[in-house]
Amino acid sequence: MSTNALDTTIYSAISAAIQAEAKRILAEEQVSAVIGYAAARRKGSAQPIIINNADDAAKLIFTPASVNNLALYLTKAKKDIPKKGKIGIVVKGCDLKAIVGLLGEAQLKREELYLIGVPCAGVLAATTQPATALTSETIAPKCTECNAQLPTGCDYVPNVQLPPQPPLAGKYSAEIARLEALTPAERWAYWKEQFAKCIKCYACRQVCPFCFCEQCLCDRNKPQMVETTPRPAGNTAWHIVRAMHLAGRCAGCAECERVCPMDIPLNLLNRKMAKELKELYAYEAGSEVLDKGPLTTYTDKDDQSFIK
Amino acid sequence: MQKYISQQNLTTLLDTLIKRGTRVVAPHMNAGIPLYEPLTSAQEMVTDQLPRRSAKEAFFPVCEDIMSYTKEGQKVELQDIDPARFPETVLVGVRPCDAAAIPVLDAVFSWDYQDEFFLERRKKTTIIGLACTTADDACFCSAVGLSPSDTKGSDLFLTPLEGGGYACETQSDKGEQLIANHKELFAAPTKAKTVPLAEPQTAQIDLKKVKAWLNDHFEDPLWDGIATRCVGCGACAFVCPACHCFDIVDEGTEKSGKRRKSWDACGFWKFTHHASGHNPRDLQPKRYRNRIMHKFKYYDDKFGQTLCSGCGRCVRICPVGIDIAAIVEEIGKK
Repeated sequence: MSTNALDTTIYSAISAAIQAEAKRILAEEQVSAVIGYAAARRKGSAQPIIINNADDAAKLIFTPASVNNLALYLTKAKKDIPKKGKIGIVVKGCDLKAIVGLLGEAQLKREELYLIGVPCAGVLAATTQPATALTSETIAPKCTECNAQLPTGCDYVPNVQLPPQPPLAGKYSAEIARLEALTPAERWAYWKEQFAKCIKCYACRQVCPFCFCEQCLCDRNKPQMVETTPRPAGNTAWHIVRAMHLAGRCAGCAECERVCPMDIPLNLLNRKMAKELKELYAYEAGSEVLDKGPLTTYTDKDDQSFIK
Repeated sequence: MQKYISQQNLTTLLDTLIKRGTRVVAPHMNAGIPLYEPLTSAQEMVTDQLPRRSAKEAFFPVCEDIMSYTKEGQKVELQDIDPARFPETVLVGVRPCDAAAIPVLDAVFSWDYQDEFFLERRKKTTIIGLACTTADDACFCSAVGLSPSDTKGSDLFLTPLEGGGYACETQSDKGEQLIANHKELFAAPTKAKTVPLAEPQTAQIDLKKVKAWLNDHFEDPLWDGIATRCVGCGACAFVCPACHCFDIVDEGTEKSGKRRKSWDACGFWKFTHHASGHNPRDLQPKRYRNRIMHKFKYYDDKFGQTLCSGCGRCVRICPVGIDIAAIVEEIGKK
């Protein structure tokens, strides 16, 4: 498939709208802080920023490098972020799904959030070189399968028209189909090679909005539950624990995969789990606020066929 | 000593070394990413990409066994690892920013405690540096006093020439020895021009001024400003050519197991978590402050060097875009 440039010209109008709205809600003291994106030294870069006064609203931007899922900063794992009163936050549709999940898990309260939703034409897969144009090649794999370009249920969404987008080949569905067609031994060889690259930097865990455990099982040493060293046994255990713990919760922001310095395709595991959940329970994480998901409830109608 | 080596002869040199049982470590593709790893053939070397991780792992692996034990009834046996088993190594194609960090590591691993694992590998390794021809806007070697043609840390330094081949300059006895052992592959220096080298765009940072500010600003609002968004992963430390903290754990069963040493990072919450439950670096900005303090103050206090060679890896991979070059530049202007 040939490479297509993607139209992101609306992002300048979105940036201006975010600035105006952030300025207003800060000036009117509707919120104590706004979490958004700001430019930095490197050309094209966009980084998380937390602003507390209306004058700083001019720093806010939205660009193809606005990759982070800022919902992370709302969780109890990020105690360093003072959370007094209502907080404003800039969210893409994919980020919003994480907030929906966190609301369901009683980690956040809707009335304490002011959601600034972004109509999104896509972001970059990686920002190691942030001054990269958004194309059908450089776009994040998650964006090729996005069904939430226009976030719903926000307090404010800039009034812009999303440009028509050329059809994008769904990257995860293609890769999952490829792996499903392999034999179990071949699949195991694939994942063994991928997990062997892991250096246990835990960037995947630290950026995940759902990894808010106070004490990660994989950090425990008395007793040691999972080998902590970056070796095959501990790496495999870590990645399986991670994927399982996110099953039915992960809504696919794919931050784990984006930040992996060793390019391990972590979101493939998450998407495979999501696919199973959809097939077994017609369930999609992040679509509505639910107290309990299918993996945390039991009904006598549950599929028992796996018991042999 | 100045010499010339053609591309073909460099390939022959590496293949000869590999054939004789020398471990030749160079940038090489592994499952889609470039890493410094042992080659099975000189052709596998890639010189056009900065490896994702630094060259430090040739001496300081991601994880290594440092002891093993077996226990049967009351009988406990401990087995040391014999560093004599570490192979003779040639580390080749090393970027100047990676090579320059190696003498920085030497200082800490041979300070009050002689780390035999590091030092034995170091003793057995000859380092062939390669002048750098590509820089992006994360590169800042020139800001911390190095350059794309800096020979610090190399035993033999190669500079690519117009028309092919490399100018070779020996920097140590090890480099001289390597040439002496393979005289037939090296020729007299030529007059060919050097290919254009990389030009990092960052301005020189006054490291003395940075240190002077750090001396007086352990407590400062700057730390919250730059590091509240830090997510507390270890990516920056793990890709860094100069970060050298490690953890030691025993893994195995009651009957047998290994004591292992693996990379650690000051960004981790548990890095300074005491057995009592107290954590002196209880918030992320305090952990990030340590990263800057260690690199630009503590290490300088102790060893008179800066613990950063400006490779830019941490700048490129930080999940939240924390840019150490921008931070140090800002401190330098205070």
